Amino acid sequence: MNNFTSPNGIKRQLGVIACLVVALGWPFVGAATTVPAATKLTFELALPDIKTSQYNRPYVAVWVENADREVVRTVSLWLGKDEWHKDLRSWWRKIGRYQQPWLDGVTGATKPAGSYKFDWSLIDDQGEKIPAGDYTVHIEVVREHGGRNYLKQPIHLGEQGVVKVLEPTAETGPISLIYQP
Amino acid sequence: MIFKQSVSQLAIASFVISGLLASGLAQAHPRWILPSHFNVSKSDGEWITFDVTASHGTFVMDKPASAESASIILPTGQVLRPDHVSRGKRRSVFDFHFVETGTHKVTVNSEPVYYTRYKAGKRDTEKWLRADKVSRLQLLPSNARDISTTLSVSRVETYITVGKPSTEAFKLEGKYLELKPITHPADIVAGSPVTFQLYYQGQPKSGVKAEITRDGTLYRNSQEQIEVTSDEQGKVTFTPVNAGRYIFKARHEGPLEGNPLADESGATLHLTFEAVLP
Repeated sequence: MNNFTSPNGIKRQLGVIACLVVALGWPFVGAATTVPAATKLTFELALPDIKTSQYNRPYVAVWVENADREVVRTVSLWLGKDEWHKDLRSWWRKIGRYQQPWLDGVTGATKPAGSYKFDWSLIDDQGEKIPAGDYTVHIEVVREHGGRNYLKQPIHLGEQGVVKVLEPTAETGPISLIYQP
Repeated sequence: MIFKQSVSQLAIASFVISGLLASGLAQAHPRWILPSHFNVSKSDGEWITFDVTASHGTFVMDKPASAESASIILPTGQVLRPDHVSRGKRRSVFDFHFVETGTHKVTVNSEPVYYTRYKAGKRDTEKWLRADKVSRLQLLPSNARDISTTLSVSRVETYITVGKPSTEAFKLEGKYLELKPITHPADIVAGSPVTFQLYYQGQPKSGVKAEITRDGTLYRNSQEQIEVTSDEQGKVTFTPVNAGRYIFKARHEGPLEGNPLADESGATLHLTFEAVLP
């Protein structure tokens, strides 16, 4: 039940519900074709306060791939000028270079250190609700004059609630992925 | 000054010739090209600068190789010349403004050079002339024997990708030794296998030896090079373990059939590429 360790009450409650679902042998697990209509995946992402001689706000890309490693959706992009998009090496190679220019809703300006929260409505790049299944959330953070961290977190999006907590790295603070069907 | 100049030119000429005469990969100073960037994400075009030199180290600036022959093959197939070509004492430099979306091939190829080996007189000392099969008739002594003329040619190349990769610039000339990327140069990732296909005179060529060397030989005790030989389809596969910049060096020597100027050829190909972080 490590999947359901979480720092706050709502997540614990979700975990309890999910545990009960597992214990009762929920009949639809694995059988659903799409995720429940009203669900979303919530990201709580912190950028650490880094004391250094030259601090530039990091570039951040958050995207989701399916079990076949196909990109389902870029969820969030905090970018500078397009000249530097390639510095998000993995996002650029897998997604960015195929979809220039990045001017749509997911793109935003770089952000200072702090805690941020945003949702993904589980809609793929074609505008369709995603099928239930195994996904991997990719989070790539790169800072000029700083480092790069590239986190990959598998998550099952189906009938059960799930919370994933990612440990902080040099360039990322605590990150939680909260899925509540 | 005139004397000094001609001496230095002679020195360069003899360096080139000794390089040509040496067989195998290890002897000649390999010429290579190094771009400042391999990928461009700026949507309205980006300048990239290139170093061209010849050296035993990867990537150490050493000999004044020329960049005069540099060409840029655009994703459309159009061939353009670079800007700001200059020749320094240990390297040459040029710039190019990359605008077209897709993959560009950048080359600094040599023109074929012909030299003739022969023996003459009582001793079996091998001598040479800078001459092709036609001009050697005028130059060889009457008692020359064991005569063979070699065409020497080298390709020095790299790929630059602007935005979405393309493959039109991979088109081969069908001459000498050539490399066709099977793994796209913009898709080379540390820890993942890379496949290239080697061609000779337009046909996939088996048995071609190649070495792949990572940047920074000056600061390690071993070359740590990967050695491969092409299979029956001309393919070589290797895995660059570390992210970084690499030189792929291949050489093939073989008979040249039906060539009026040479009996055999010695062709080299030096590709510079980067393996990106996974």
